[in-house]
Order: sequence, then structure tokens, then C-alpha cells
Amino acid sequence: MADFNVNVRGVGSVSVIDVKGYLDAHTAPELENAFNKLINDAKFQVVVNFNDLSYISSAGLGVFMAYVETMRDNSGDIKFSNMKDNVYNIFDLLGFPMLYEFFDQETEAVNKFNDKG
Amino acid sequence: MAATIKKINNTKKLENTILASIVLFVFKLVFFSSDSLIINIINEFVILGTIYLWIDYVIGFVKPRTSTPLSIILNTGILTAIIFFILSVSTSFLSTEIFTNGETDYIYIIFANLLIFVFIGCVTYIFAAFKELSFYRQKTDKSKYFNTLVFFIIITGLSKSITKIDPTLDFIENAFFVVTILLIGINSIRVSWIAFLIKKQKVYLLVIAIVLSILFGFNYSLTIGDGVINQLLYAYSPGLVAFLGLLMIYGSIYFGVIFFTTLFHLPTAEAFDRKAEEVSSLMDLSKLITQVFDFKELADTVTSVTTKVCNSDSAWLVTKREDDFELSSVSNIGFVEADKITTSLLEHHSYNLNEVVTINDSPIKIRIKNDVRTFNFKAIAVAPLKVHNKNSGFLFVARKRDFSFDEDDIKAISAFADYAAVALENAKLIEESLEKERLEKELDVAREVQYKILPDGVPKIENLEISALFVPAFEVGGDYYDFFEISDNKLGFVIADVSGKGIQAAFIMAEIKGVFESLSRIITSPSELLIKVNEILIKSLEKKSFVTAVYGVIDTKSGKVNFSRAGHNSIMLCSKGKVEHFTPPGMGLGLDSGDKFRLVIKEMEIQLDNNDIIILYTDGIPESQNSKYEEFGYKKFEKILIENCDEEVNKISNEIMKAVTIYSQDKSQHDDITLVIFKWKFNNKKSGEV
Repeated sequence: MADFNVNVRGVGSVSVIDVKGYLDAHTAPELENAFNKLINDAKFQVVVNFNDLSYISSAGLGVFMAYVETMRDNSGDIKFSNMKDNVYNIFDLLGFPMLYEFFDQETEAVNKFNDKG
Repeated sequence: MAATIKKINNTKKLENTILASIVLFVFKLVFFSSDSLIINIINEFVILGTIYLWIDYVIGFVKPRTSTPLSIILNTGILTAIIFFILSVSTSFLSTEIFTNGETDYIYIIFANLLIFVFIGCVTYIFAAFKELSFYRQKTDKSKYFNTLVFFIIITGLSKSITKIDPTLDFIENAFFVVTILLIGINSIRVSWIAFLIKKQKVYLLVIAIVLSILFGFNYSLTIGDGVINQLLYAYSPGLVAFLGLLMIYGSIYFGVIFFTTLFHLPTAEAFDRKAEEVSSLMDLSKLITQVFDFKELADTVTSVTTKVCNSDSAWLVTKREDDFELSSVSNIGFVEADKITTSLLEHHSYNLNEVVTINDSPIKIRIKNDVRTFNFKAIAVAPLKVHNKNSGFLFVARKRDFSFDEDDIKAISAFADYAAVALENAKLIEESLEKERLEKELDVAREVQYKILPDGVPKIENLEISALFVPAFEVGGDYYDFFEISDNKLGFVIADVSGKGIQAAFIMAEIKGVFESLSRIITSPSELLIKVNEILIKSLEKKSFVTAVYGVIDTKSGKVNFSRAGHNSIMLCSKGKVEHFTPPGMGLGLDSGDKFRLVIKEMEIQLDNNDIIILYTDGIPESQNSKYEEFGYKKFEKILIENCDEEVNKISNEIMKAVTIYSQDKSQHDDITLVIFKWKFNNKKSGEV
């Protein structure tokens, strides 16, 4: 099995999730755990940094869909940053750019949260 | 069968015994007392024979009861008491004078005979009991000693008869008597069965043995006296008197030996009991392991047995579930308390215990909520449950009394812990195999559903060659394609990919098939149709599930293709040696509740030329991976299309599949693969008109 890693860190009031490796049906539960923890801690402003992610499957995409509503209901959001082209193409093909905000750099995404206050 | 034979045997023995008794009785009526040597000798042999038959018959009763030696001893005691009663009480109301001229008084003779038979009955039972007891639980053959004893008893009896006739020969009798006593002594030390009694029985036996030893002694002293019964017996048969006397000595010695042996066994009785219990508990446990697959039941047995055998007050079993420890069973302690003690002990002591550890601290203090509760356990032993050097839990044993666990306890505890570990492992393996079986069954169902949902073949349409290929992955992936013959010149087609896998994906497939099939007959516009499908699916899909699809309609007269895309991969057109991707805007189904979906989706129309090929596929093709996790991609895909675009559709399809299979040969197929190809074969005459 290909490797997958999740790391959560706080940047101010925003939580940044670094995802690394292959995100598919088998590794998706790890990311789900990370989101569950954030929700338990009432941290709803989330940026997912895709810098080290090399592959995402439909089950991986499903994770974001499962949690975004909760975040938005609590005046937070899930924003994406540092996505490689091949990964972005998958999001793009599905029409995610209409539903989520994508940023080139993590700081831009974090700032976007902070601008809103 | 065997039982009936035994019964017949017994009946026959009884008949012989009764017959012999009657012979004896009649013989005695005729010659009650005689001075003739011959008659006396015949008398002794008749009695000997009768007693032999009696004993042979009685042993049949005693033998099956040897497993409970205490009941035999108790019966023996009762019979001895009867003899004692007759011997001591009869003196008071029987007169000796009658004997001197008793030959004429038949009533008296009959009475005496009956009394004698009572004696014979008692004596034979006692003798049979001694015989069986001395052979009970003997590991080596000691019949030699016993037979010798019997032989000397008979000789002594016969010599007593000789003494009766010629009193000067009494030294013979005395010599045999002494030898017999010695043999009695040798036979009396076979009492190893005492060791196997439990402590309670030993105490009971101790009391009975001393009473009986004394009682037999009394009886013996009465038989050598000059009482009425003695005279009667002596007149009846001197041999019988000798036998009775010897038997009483035997009893006195035997029970004396039993008394002292039991007395010496008593201090170790408890330890012996415990060992015996330990052995039988381990046997029970090993039986349970092979029979019981329910771990809970086994855990309960382990804790309750451990408590009992290790002389402790409480025991509990903790098992490892993932990274946490979980209480599996408690014996004589509350769940909460056991849990608290476990947590506090495991905090202080390493989780990687490799052998039994005993803790003999002062009373263990455990904090529950706010109050410090003290548990009065003076000693606690912790044994790891190990299988293949992996620790799967702990067995705790606790004592309130001030004894620490000794070596034997620790051995027993670790044995129980080992059993629990094996059982735990078994239970786990069974659970895993059941779970695997369940998943496989589920996958079978999902595959079956998928095959039933997909169309049987491809429609036969003029001007259009169609090929459809579907290769399922091991875990059903949720690919779907279908054709709808809407009207004479309209063919609807759909290709879709449900996110997720297995039975869940298969059910979503079933749902979207129904939705597409019904909507395709009502809505002609592909984008309108997909908007409607999205509205339906958003209500039924789970948040994290979505479906990508392409829906289109081919005009089979004009070669016009209208289609829309909902998040699916591009539609490819191979025309005149070139491949073109069409990706009209459109979101996946089930992502957005409506407005955005409607806003984004666009429709596209292309006009097919002769021999143009339209390729629809799911991501299983471009995303199939080799062992280095590299994807097949679009370049290879396009290359095969260009090389084979003049071939017929099935050949193209096979070529693509072949390339994908070779590319990903080192890796199992991860996702379903679906490939639908249309080739426009327009009649040349009509094509000229366009």
C-alpha cells in the first residue's frame, strides 16, 4: 500500500492539514479522523495543504464533501492550497472550483480567513 | 447385552449360594454337634464352601462401589456393630445349659442356625470389603499377598477344628495364627487410596477409622471369651470361630493403619486438594478452548477458576483491543474497581510484562472520583497473556489476606493466563474469518447486482457500430453504462462512475439506472436531464458520495451527437487520425443541491463524419497504475486509438484493454474499467448529401 500521512497544525486561529502521499478509499479514514478531531475541538476554519499529495481518488474527495457542510454551518470553511496540477485536474473535472476556494499558497488561504475576521 | 450376562451370572451365583446354605442348614439339622473326626472335617469343608460362595456373591455388590470407599467402610462399620451387638447382648438371654443336651431341641438348633447365618452374612461382607479395599487404587499387583493370607486363614481355621478333636495339637493352630497375623499386617498397609480423598472425607474417615478399630478390637476380645455365642459358634464350627476372630483382628489392625495414615495425610490434604483441583481445572479449560468459541464464556471460566484454585479473593481478565485495555471478565470484584486498579497498576508497571509479577504493597489505594477508596488487597499478581511473544492482555489475581503468592500459585496463574491467551487468539481468528466471509458474501452480492444492472449486449443500430466492455475490480467499483432507444432515430447513452465501492456503490448504481431509464424517455436535452438527475440524487446520496456521468443522445440518421458532462472524464473523439477531448462544463452529481449545478452545466453538439469514433470511459483506464504507482494516462490511450481507428470497434476495445492489462500487470486492478465505443458508419451515398 502506498503511504499516506496527515498532519494538523495551527496557524493562528486557522487549522492547516498537511496531506501527503496517496489519498484513496483505504487511507481516507485517517483524514476523516483528523477532521473529526477538529470538529470536536470546535476548529472550523481549515486549510488543506496539498503540497505533498500525489494522488486522490473519489473516496478521498468524498472526505471533504462530508465535512464542508459542518464547517460552513459553524462559520468556517475548508479551503485548498498548494495543489499540484494533476490533483487539481481531478477537482476541476468534478466541478469543485465552483464549491470550494483554491489557493496557490497556504498563506493566501489562511489570510482569507483572517480578512473576514 | 453385557449387563444381562452379568445379571444372569449374578442370579446363578445367588442360586448356588442359597443351595449351599440349604445344604449346610440340613447338614446341621442332622449333625449339629459331633465328636467324629470325619463328620467334623466334612462340616468344616461344607462351611468353607458356603462361605466361599457367599463371598463370591457379595463381592459382586461391593466391587461397583469401590469408587466410593467411604460408603463401603460405613457398611462395614454397621455390620461390625451388629456383630458387636449380638455378641454382647445375647449373653444375657441365652442360657449355656441348653447346649449340653441341645441335640434334641430342634427349635433351638434352628434358631442357632439362623443366628450363624447372620454371622456368616456379616463376616462375608466385611471380608469382601477388605479384599476390594486392599486392591483399590493399587498400581502393582498385590494379589499374591492377599491370596497367601486367605490360604493361612483357611489353614488356621482347619487347625482349630483339629484342636477341637485333639487339644494337644493346639501348637499347630497357634503357629498358623501368628503367621496369619503377620500377613494381616502386610495386607493392611495398602491404603494409598486415602491420598485421593478430599480433606473433608479424610476428616470423616479419621473418625470412622478410630471407632471401627476399637469396635473390631472389642469384637475380637468377645470372640475369645467364653460367652454363649462363642460356645454356640464353637460347637457349630471351630473354623468359623477362627475366621471370625482373625477377621476382627484384621479389621482392628486395618482401621488402625487407616487412622494413622489419614492422620498423617491430614496436614497435606489441602495442598493435595488444590493440586487435584488445578489439574482438573486445566483439563476443563483445555476442553473449553476447543469447544467454546465464545471468548466471554471462557474468560469467565478462567477468572472464576483462578480465584478458586489460587486461593485468592478476586481475579479479573483484561484484554487488548487495538491500543486500549478492556476488562473481559471479573470474578468477585466490581467492574469499576477492577478497572481502576488495572489502570493504576498498568501506569506504574510497564505494559511489557513478560512474566508473572507479584505486588505485595501495602493496601492498594485507588482514587475513584474524589474519594480515595482503599482496596484491602494485600497481594496482587499480574500475568501477561502471551501468544507468539505478543501481549494480548493481563490476568490479575488479588488476595485480601496477608499471604503473598508462592511459587505454586504463580505457576498456576501463568498456566491459566496461557490458556486465556490461546483462547483469545482462537476467538480472534474465528472472528476475523467470519468477518472475511461476510465481506466476501457482500462483494458477491454487489457483483451480482452490478451484472444485473448493466445491459446484456449492445443495441443493433443502423449506421452505428457499438462496443461496450466492462471489467470489474475485485472490490466492486460502481461503474455503470447503458443505452436507451428513445425513438427510431434517437439513441440515448450514459456512462457513470459512483464514488465508493462494494455493496453501497452497487445500490447507488441500481438507483441511477432507474432514474436514467425513466428520465431519458421524458427529457430530450442532456443537460436538462442531468439537472433533474442531480436533484433526485442529492436527496438520496450520502454527503460524501457522488456520481460522475456523461449523458448524450445520438441522432442515428444525421450523426449529430448532443451530450453533457457531470464531473466525468472527457469524451474523446477520434477523427481522421486525431484525438480530441471534449470537456463541457459540469459538476459531479450529488455535490451541489441545485443552483450551481444548473448554472455550470453546458451542452455540446458534434457532427460525426464517416468512421469517426466516440470513446466513453471511466477513470479506471487512465488511472490504472503500474507497480511504481505511475498512471497509464492519456498519451498511451490516445496512441492506441490513433493506431487502431480504422479497425472495427471490438478490436479497438480489445487493444486498449490489452495495453492497460500489460501496463498494470504487477498490480491488482484497483477500480472497475468501463469502455464504450461508437463508430459512425454512414452510408456513402447519404454522406454525399451532407
